Amino acid sequence: MKAFETFHPIVLFSFFVATIGLSMIFMHPVYLTITIFSAISLNIALRRQLFFKDWKLYVPLFFLMAIINPMISHNGQLVLLYVNGNAITVEAILYGIAIATMIVAIMLWFSCYNVMMTSDKFIYLFGKVSPALSLTLSISLRLVPRFKHQLTQIVQAQKVIGMDFTTGSLWHRIKCTVRILSILITWALDNAIDTADSMKARGYGVKKRTAFSIFIFERRDGFVLAMIILLFFSNLVASFIGTTTYYFYPTFGAVKWDMTSILFYISYVILLSIPLVFEIWGALKWRSLKSTM
Amino acid sequence: MQKNIRLIISFIVILVFIPLSLYAGITIFADRKYYFVSIVIMILACVPFFLSFERRKPQPREILVIAVMSAISVAGRALFVVTPGFKPVAAITAITGFSLGAEAGFLTGAISALVSNMFFGQGPWTPFQMFMWGMIGFIAGLLGKTRLMHKKIPLILFGIFAGIFFSFGMDVWGTISMYGVFSWKAYALALTSAVPFMIIYCISNVIFLLLLAKPISEKLDRIKNKYGILQ
Amino acid sequence: MAIVKIDNVSFTYPNEAIPILKNINLTIQQGEFIVLIGQSGCGKSTLLRHFKRELRPHGTVTGNIFYKDYDLEKLNAEVAATDIGYVFQNPDNQIVTDKVWHELAFGLESLGVDSPIIRRKVAEMANFFGIEKWFHQKTTELSGGQKQLLNLASIMVMQPKLLLLDEPTSQLDPIAALEFIQTLHRLNKELGITIILIEHRLEEVLPLADRVLIMDEGSILFDGPPKEILNSLPADHAMITALPAATKIFHLLNGIGPIPLTIREGQRWLSNQPYNCSSLHTPHTTTQNKSDVVLEAKDIAFRYEKKGRDIVHHFNLQVKGQEFLTIIGGNGTGKSTVLSILSGLQKPYHGKIFLFSKALKSYSSKQLYQQYLTILPQNPKSLFVQKTVLLELNDMAQLHKVTEAKIQETVQLFNLTHLLNRHPYDLSGGEQQKLALAKLLLIEPKILLLDEPTKGLDAHSKEGLAEILKDLQTKGTTIIMVTHDIEFSAQYSDRCALFFDGSIVSEDEPRAFYSGNNFYTTAAHRISRDILSNAITCEDVVTLCKKTFV
Repeated sequence: MKAFETFHPIVLFSFFVATIGLSMIFMHPVYLTITIFSAISLNIALRRQLFFKDWKLYVPLFFLMAIINPMISHNGQLVLLYVNGNAITVEAILYGIAIATMIVAIMLWFSCYNVMMTSDKFIYLFGKVSPALSLTLSISLRLVPRFKHQLTQIVQAQKVIGMDFTTGSLWHRIKCTVRILSILITWALDNAIDTADSMKARGYGVKKRTAFSIFIFERRDGFVLAMIILLFFSNLVASFIGTTTYYFYPTFGAVKWDMTSILFYISYVILLSIPLVFEIWGALKWRSLKSTM
Repeated sequence: MQKNIRLIISFIVILVFIPLSLYAGITIFADRKYYFVSIVIMILACVPFFLSFERRKPQPREILVIAVMSAISVAGRALFVVTPGFKPVAAITAITGFSLGAEAGFLTGAISALVSNMFFGQGPWTPFQMFMWGMIGFIAGLLGKTRLMHKKIPLILFGIFAGIFFSFGMDVWGTISMYGVFSWKAYALALTSAVPFMIIYCISNVIFLLLLAKPISEKLDRIKNKYGILQ
Repeated sequence: MAIVKIDNVSFTYPNEAIPILKNINLTIQQGEFIVLIGQSGCGKSTLLRHFKRELRPHGTVTGNIFYKDYDLEKLNAEVAATDIGYVFQNPDNQIVTDKVWHELAFGLESLGVDSPIIRRKVAEMANFFGIEKWFHQKTTELSGGQKQLLNLASIMVMQPKLLLLDEPTSQLDPIAALEFIQTLHRLNKELGITIILIEHRLEEVLPLADRVLIMDEGSILFDGPPKEILNSLPADHAMITALPAATKIFHLLNGIGPIPLTIREGQRWLSNQPYNCSSLHTPHTTTQNKSDVVLEAKDIAFRYEKKGRDIVHHFNLQVKGQEFLTIIGGNGTGKSTVLSILSGLQKPYHGKIFLFSKALKSYSSKQLYQQYLTILPQNPKSLFVQKTVLLELNDMAQLHKVTEAKIQETVQLFNLTHLLNRHPYDLSGGEQQKLALAKLLLIEPKILLLDEPTKGLDAHSKEGLAEILKDLQTKGTTIIMVTHDIEFSAQYSDRCALFFDGSIVSEDEPRAFYSGNNFYTTAAHRISRDILSNAITCEDVVTLCKKTFV
């Protein structure tokens, strides 16, 4: 059950821009913890199988990044040891971990983005800003699978006349590849003329285009969008007054636990857990609907 | 004439505006928000091209050539399982730039990156790829005007340049995404470790440019002649 | 009311001496269903494009075209775009966007229509065409027939008054083609839309037409109701072969009275004739063992993905030397897959293929494709690399060290001399097919495999193809062809096999095969089966009837 996905694309997109944008800026331990845990939970909710596969990639990446920073940066006061006369410091290690956390969190947010913001949603939103480009994008997206199919046909036809691109010397393979690409390009450009005619025949360029979509902006979309914007600004305020600022160098700053800071932390938690809340809520609702049926 | 003005404006944006905002970004966000700033800059850098394309109400045929060439660079990847490291994107983008001008070149490169990532997954690297491939197309478009690009030596030089340019550019991203900050030391490290890839990029670019430049521009010309104006 | 009036229009393409349209005069009434026919190169497509301002070809034009008494040239751009709709031949090329719903909305978006109105109109059209089920799909996932229906629907949302269609069914399989034509009929009858249709499938289309236009070398040779076609066409005109079977039989037997167009009319007419020859049998052409088996498939099973379903299974086939075998069967059932398995391009996961009694696997691909077999792809363009026909042949010759004399011989055989300097993409469909064949046959394969070679060809080009194939056969080539084209298979092949659900379910020589089938059979057989037991082509019917009528 994918519940958040059914919201209007503008809601989804705003959420991801806000989330990913803020996650890139905030290097505060509390904020990092919030973003990585929200991202992991949403990943588990949305793409469980794939997520557990991805771990194999993320864990080494995480450690690699965490290790590299202390090798390069020798700032900090808590020196652990010296390697070739360079100080390895606790600050640098923790900073490396912080950076690694941020980057992995962003990767995880993007993988949720890829699940929810399907290409048609992106094209629709993009079309509101840039109709011609969004159309170009839409055409291109349609052509890719078509070209792939045509490629397999050309590859087979060429294999029969002795131009097999999978065998022979490297030079032969390159020559065949170029030949196949060349055939594809001629074919594609020739067919494109028909497509251009078909666009003209249907009045392209006669008037300023409108962007139709099957997406409907409902009241709940307005409500959630307002919430995202509000929370986004409250987090900007937090950044402005310094709640989100944290120093690793020369040595660690202090994490504030006063009332204001806690409220701001909570606002970040709420923003980042919006999709997860809808996912859980949606799942529960389905269960109760099913049981009453 | 109008076209020239657009070109000059794009130039100003790339050479003045971007370094300026880069500088501003680093000084204003003094506590090293490179990750964020770099992505924003890359997105901003693409905006003027998109805007000017939008403004002049492109003809269907122009839209299609850009869409077709981008789709070919993406679909064409399937062919390169047997020649590892080879990617046709830069070469196809460059050739489109040679024949159709700087703007079409940029758009082909940028859209190739965007569409490619729609199939393989978007990530924070998308804006970088868009800009780097776009710029290869853009520069190719500028050079295409000089009529030099029909000769072999300039093609070879351009292929090498495109390979190095792409490598250097993407390594800026690589450095930032690995260390969270930009340091020259880390950049140098990234560059040296990427040398083998860079060489493959250069070689594949050169080969594809030499083999594809003539046939593709002939095909584009044929379409131009047979069906009237393209540009 | 006249919807279109063409007043003395002539048109010449740039760099051509002779005009392709010569002094055309034509008035089309609102609500007419017009079928426009003629041999390839007669100018019918050029004429059709003149009705649609946005698609007018480049060149010099004289004369005037009026749409509802307005000069088409000066018509308001919005009216021109909406009122006149155009459907192209290739279903794939005219689709612009990646989603079905977006494609339907494309035209209205271009005209700046507001979303709520688009929503309503799109819903209406999706309903009329039965598109709801695949409304949310990607356009690339549709079948050919669905694509063409989508193209029609996305023009219909703009509420055109005049619909122009240039061979819209030529790339479709027979069932999808019939569905498309019936939809057109519905649009004409239920909504009163004027239709001008260029079409090769006269069997299905002529009975629906109010009026037929036959073009010949840039002029209109015939303009009238379909029932009067024979009266004004010269008896040996090339278009006669393209007419429906009933009409052709009627013509060849010098029938008098109203012309039969449909199968039913044909049956009725034939049963009222003095030919009473139910007892007469044409002798079965004896299928003697011409030679040994050259290609044999034993218990083949194949699937594309490990967890997919079997496309081919329990597949057995024997092909004898110098035989012409056609494999017929429904669309998307895997006939093309069979060809690629037989040619070694796809490997079966079970079973074996023997070529000249040796396992296919034991041949190197060089040996296999240079000495034994070749396959003509469904899309001949997959073979074209060069700028001209001559370079195309030389390219192949270079790859395989073919002599200059052989090239000359092939050029003669395929009658390509006048095309040598043309770009392969500028040739007609039939000519492209010929060039592709010529290219492949330079290496003189022993076995020739063809994938739907008659797709999109007109009657004349089909005859040309048949001649070439027959000629090859006499020179010793074995031919295996996969096709939807029952008529072609019945007329020219030595043996027919029906492919269904992954294997060959029945096979026989054509006469026995088609007279044994009830549904999967030729028009001539359906017309004549009450009085003739095994006539399967028009020629059969005529010979048999003439024999009894002394």
